Amino acid sequence: MEFDNQVKLAVYGHFARTGRRPAPDEIAAAVGADGAAVIDAYGRLRAQRVLVLESDGSSILMAPPFSGVPTQHIVEAGGVRYHANCAWDALGVLAALHQPGMVHSRCEQSGEPLHLEVGQDGPAHSDWLFHCLVPAAHWWDDIGFT
Amino acid sequence: MLFFRSEERAREWCRERGQPLGPLVSVAQLWALATTWYSTRLQENARRPQPDEMREIFARLGLAGEFWDPRSDRFGPAA
Repeated sequence: MEFDNQVKLAVYGHFARTGRRPAPDEIAAAVGADGAAVIDAYGRLRAQRVLVLESDGSSILMAPPFSGVPTQHIVEAGGVRYHANCAWDALGVLAALHQPGMVHSRCEQSGEPLHLEVGQDGPAHSDWLFHCLVPAAHWWDDIGFT
Repeated sequence: MLFFRSEERAREWCRERGQPLGPLVSVAQLWALATTWYSTRLQENARRPQPDEMREIFARLGLAGEFWDPRSDRFGPAA
């Protein structure tokens, strides 16, 4: 398997197992490479929009749908607690895991809590809404804002 | 990309920030988007939909128009 794909799978596998971002040396150990090679791969994966990195170039901010930092979108599945980047990604975590779970978030205007049960075939009926502010052509202009 | 309890709450949020109200998507539509984007993400052969596919996916879910067109330049560069 190509090295960058090994790194990508190791990163996503770590998020899926633990709910938290891996340190570069954890990925280096997983793929049998040194940390510098992993960080180089992170940069290429960033260019492919697979990862979003913090300004240090080595800390994973986003491995969509997973967030490397705490957010208001929390997902629980299989005894693991995850943070998602946005409302879309909150459901995306469960879609990626292929597991039932719970999404906890809030109405961004009122603060009313959202607790959404998601089964293997999707969420229970809900009349909550998802609002998309940025047009699709510009999602990656500033993915943090999007 | 945020959750809102109702259209009115979304309108208030946009108004207070001087932002236009964007499309509002149901939870069922959002699940369809989430599975389309992410169901293979943990697999070796994972791939994201490409722009032409994205347009078709959005249209199939009733999300049509330039807002959902990944190739549209109607909105100009991001501010």
